[in-house]
Amino acid sequence: MKKIFRIFNCLSVSALIVGFGGLLFCISCGKQDSDKERQKVIRLPMLTKIQTLDCGNLTDVYSISIASQIFEPLYDYHYLKRPYEIVPLTAEGMPEISEDHLVYTIRIKKGIYFQDDPCFPEGKGRELKADDFVYAIKRIANIKFVSQRWVDWNGRVVGLDEFREFTKSFDKELDVDYSVEVEGLKALNDYTLQLKLVKPWPQLQWNLATVVTSPVAREAVEYYDKEIMYHPVGTGPYKLKIWQQGFFIELERNEKWRTEVYPSEGEPADLEQGYLADAGKPIPFADRAVYRVIEEFQPAWLMFLRGELDVMQVFKDNFSQAVDPATLTATAEMKDRGIRLIIYDDPSIFWVGFNMQDPTLGKNPPLRKAISRAINRQAAVDLFFNGIHKIAYGYLPPGLEEYDPSIVHTDYSKYDPDEARLLLREAEAIHGSSIPSLTMAIPGTGNLDRQMGQFMQKYLADVGLDLKIEYMDWPTYLDELNKGKLQMFFSGASPSIPDSLDMLLAFCSWNWGYGGNHFFYSNPEFDALFRKAEVMFPSPQRTAICRKLERIMLEDYPAAFINHRVAITIVHDWYRNAKPSAFSYNTLKYRSVDPDKRNAYKDLLKELKKKKK
Amino acid sequence: MNKIQSTNLITEEILPGRSLWADGIRRLRKRPLAMICFVIMILYGGLAVFEFAAELAGWEKASVAHWNEITGPSYQKPFAPYEWIKEDGSKQIRREWFGTDFLGRSTFRRTLYGAKTSITVALCASLISLAIGVPLGAIAGYFRGWIDDLVLWVLSTLDTIPYIVLIMAFAVILRERTVFGLHLRGITAVYLAMGLTSWVGICRLIRGEIIKRKESEYVLAARATGCSNRRIIFRHLLPNVFHIIIINLSLRFVGFIHAEVILSFLGLGETDKPSWGAMIDSARAELARDVWWEMTAATAAIFLLSLALNLFGDALRDCLDPKLRVD
Amino acid sequence: MITYILRRLLYTIPIVIGVLLLTFFLFTVVGGDISQQIAGKNADAQTIAEIRHEYGFDKPLFWSLDSQFLDHFKKALTFNFGRALDREKISEKILRGVGPSLSLTAPMFFGTLAISISLSLLVAFARGTWLDVTVVVLCVAGMSIPYLSFIIFGQYFFAYKIGAFPIMYMPEQSMTYSLALPILIGIAAGLGANLRFYRTVMLDEMRSDYVRTAFAKGLSTPKVLFKHVLKNAMIPIITNVVLVIPFLVLGSFLLERFFGIPGLGSLMIEAFASRDYFIINAMTFIFALLICFFTVLTDICYALVDPRIQFE
Repeated sequence: MKKIFRIFNCLSVSALIVGFGGLLFCISCGKQDSDKERQKVIRLPMLTKIQTLDCGNLTDVYSISIASQIFEPLYDYHYLKRPYEIVPLTAEGMPEISEDHLVYTIRIKKGIYFQDDPCFPEGKGRELKADDFVYAIKRIANIKFVSQRWVDWNGRVVGLDEFREFTKSFDKELDVDYSVEVEGLKALNDYTLQLKLVKPWPQLQWNLATVVTSPVAREAVEYYDKEIMYHPVGTGPYKLKIWQQGFFIELERNEKWRTEVYPSEGEPADLEQGYLADAGKPIPFADRAVYRVIEEFQPAWLMFLRGELDVMQVFKDNFSQAVDPATLTATAEMKDRGIRLIIYDDPSIFWVGFNMQDPTLGKNPPLRKAISRAINRQAAVDLFFNGIHKIAYGYLPPGLEEYDPSIVHTDYSKYDPDEARLLLREAEAIHGSSIPSLTMAIPGTGNLDRQMGQFMQKYLADVGLDLKIEYMDWPTYLDELNKGKLQMFFSGASPSIPDSLDMLLAFCSWNWGYGGNHFFYSNPEFDALFRKAEVMFPSPQRTAICRKLERIMLEDYPAAFINHRVAITIVHDWYRNAKPSAFSYNTLKYRSVDPDKRNAYKDLLKELKKKKK
Repeated sequence: MNKIQSTNLITEEILPGRSLWADGIRRLRKRPLAMICFVIMILYGGLAVFEFAAELAGWEKASVAHWNEITGPSYQKPFAPYEWIKEDGSKQIRREWFGTDFLGRSTFRRTLYGAKTSITVALCASLISLAIGVPLGAIAGYFRGWIDDLVLWVLSTLDTIPYIVLIMAFAVILRERTVFGLHLRGITAVYLAMGLTSWVGICRLIRGEIIKRKESEYVLAARATGCSNRRIIFRHLLPNVFHIIIINLSLRFVGFIHAEVILSFLGLGETDKPSWGAMIDSARAELARDVWWEMTAATAAIFLLSLALNLFGDALRDCLDPKLRVD
Repeated sequence: MITYILRRLLYTIPIVIGVLLLTFFLFTVVGGDISQQIAGKNADAQTIAEIRHEYGFDKPLFWSLDSQFLDHFKKALTFNFGRALDREKISEKILRGVGPSLSLTAPMFFGTLAISISLSLLVAFARGTWLDVTVVVLCVAGMSIPYLSFIIFGQYFFAYKIGAFPIMYMPEQSMTYSLALPILIGIAAGLGANLRFYRTVMLDEMRSDYVRTAFAKGLSTPKVLFKHVLKNAMIPIITNVVLVIPFLVLGSFLLERFFGIPGLGSLMIEAFASRDYFIINAMTFIFALLICFFTVLTDICYALVDPRIQFE
């Protein structure tokens, strides 16, 4: 008994000592300096956790933005030139396309090697072959791999759909016999790839520039099996060093990467903004890149201010601190710290969608129009996006070739509560009685989602409509959206390739539900015109058809379109070559940091503090 | 203790004795701190009833209850006067006690409304946990045998799962589900989850007390006069442990109010109407723009109510439970 | 003694079965099929069917040899939890989280314990005085502030405004540097409840007859406090300590979430957010086992410390 008491007494005393001592210790050892500080390390925030680094199954931009540094597809977007221009990456020149636009022949650069990895004999990466591309695409077609990217290839390549059918007879992904030949997807020799299409596919060139179609080493897939998503083996300038799911990812430079140089021509403004200062120098610049997963804006912003992150998005609540609204430049406080802003159009569109099969909304065009008239888009942009985002007058976002500048003069997105009330009267006549309360689904249960919901409720209540909001988590939302169970829904999209037809696909009647038409919208005129445009290559004629398609759809009010995003990135002085790009993600190799400037930042902060006093 | 009570029973006809409750309340009255706390609790309760009634009846005159009304531009500082140009162009100089939120609604009114949300959640959760815990505990303690074994097994099983895992599991699973024609959204799912997970403690407590008391003289006497088991449990035993339930409840109430905050943070709480949890949650991002008043108001509201409940619960225990009585 | 321990261990078997039944009911019968979520936004029906097959959602719930019910038990009892939705092995995920969680909660717990026991003795010594009343009111006040407010204010003022601590966990820096602030906040937030609990424990002891006897014998107050009271207060203290250990492993999910600490608390929140019931099942089962084990341990400790308790 006494013994236990003594032991316990010792324990409590030692716990006390350990507790306080530990605290003192950790405060004192906070300033750990080392040689590492000389290394060029890029520190970036990541808003959500990374799902996968398996390049055949990438869907979200966050995963893509990391995988793009490790894998390399055939083509790439030019880093500086706008409008976006396709340039070869692992391909030797642009594809040779047959007269009928059905056969593509692509030559691959010699002397490209995979990164070193234990999956290769002796751990040495082997040379890239045309077969690796064939394998990558067949793998996406393999149903046992359950790739989310099959939709891109469905019904496109001769014989590929039959191959997908064939894979059904196997049990596991790795059992599938890849030696079965696919007519439209062949390696003619080690460095030549041939694609045969079912019908012309104008968007193929863009698809060959997304990281999803990057070559995959079969050895890696077989070696890592289920864990391939944690062991990306690519040909890119960086390789994965550490990935702690949900917390941080560290990439390090691939020492074996071939020699490439920073581009020396770009837009006229690039010279002035310093994007050409490194022209002709060998890339990549940074030795390592650390991505921190920080889901909350607040800590990310605080870390940025303390210089622990190089880049940060400006969001609703740090806007006033970061941006001077009159000039749209950094505030004086930020300028003192050497922080600058980068503002650019990020092609995207957000909307409140209507379910066209809903008994109340679907058969009542005046009601949909009334809802659209009731929403004050300017107020939404002011309140949630600090007046920076652009009001969406139509559907196609600015930045795309097919964006129609004259759409600003239409009244599809007009805010007019009086007209809305009149329209409601009309809608009630059609409905037969007063309009029952409506339900809108918002994906997300966070603070901003709630505020958005309350905003919508307020404006609909102003014209006499009762709105209920259901805040759903993403899985529930997705499920009900695809099954057409939602009456109204808040949603958005941004084009993954610079092509409008891809976006207009969301209104085709054959794409209901799972295909992406969540409005369950159907208009024979729209469908027929879309079929016509589908096989056309970029031309003024095609652009005209796209704009026509947009107008046809807008007349039916399947959604109230709200805003287009304008992204504001805020970067530290030491972060260089941060030219934004809406479509290409493999930009880490061009980015650079100045470690001396970064190390001096802490002293700068102290100085500023003194000055204040 | 049993003996004291049984003597009371016998002498009742001769001497008008004081019941446990009358005695307890007399002691409680002597404690000024407890009485202040009691008044605070009554005020909060009254506020909740008022908000409830105002919402139900749609009182036009009670502008304080209109939490949804826009009373100025967004993010106005507390107490500071501001100039407000309405949509119709008219100008007005106003001030708000606790400032305004992102839509320009009064933080003060929203805080007041939060009392209704929080108290509804805590009350419903308490009632559910009582409705499950008390009868189960009483039956298990009274009959013992296999029923007791079964109840004990359920209790130990639930005890073995960390409370936070259990409550999140229930909250996640109950959300957006329709049970018996009732669509569970917002706070309904919250208090159901709390109620369904928190009855374990009260059940264990009641079971123990019933076991302790079921052999006492007044129970034996009741049984001898031919009372049914049901009558003994519900008319004789439970009234005698009622004070334990009340003490337990007053302390548990605080737990429920705090749990609502945490569930709100996890995105499982009330969404349409103001709640303290949602207000604290929204402050996380807004602190970056130095909007501190929403969070401070909600924290203060929770603090005052919890403090009152805690102190009053302690006082109540001291006064009602003679075993713990300190003079 | 050994038979006693064995019997206590045997008694945990139905409880473990109960936990498994409950998790099966909650996460498989009610929670159910999440194939749509795995498949993503634009998946076709075929892909979803394939995913249902891969994760076993298409198996019968009960009456079959490879039913989901039997699968659930098999997974738990063989400790082979398989892979999470993101295809990482669940056991690896959990093992990786234990370290950070314990480094956060253990100092927090022992710090709180040491401070609250020493203070509670002091308060018990000065019972009835203004010091006692002040401390009690302060404790209750501390308990009345929501945990979330503690964290938000703490992070904002100490990490950002004053800048003495990092705002979030820094994987490149030493663990102690990263964890100091969350530990301090945890101690501050938990001190009220703990101090009040131990004060009650001490006071309960001080009211017992042996203390009266000791005082009557003419022993000095410190001697009574340290020799008699603290010694006898050991029972509730030890119970408390041992029972808390499994929860230390679980970590503090709010602190971990706010400071981005890669512990088990974060893992659990994330699993709930992404509906990864495989992880939740595994974690619930492991914690149930831990809690069972430590409950048995408490009973044994009880028996060791208190001679009045006999091994039946």
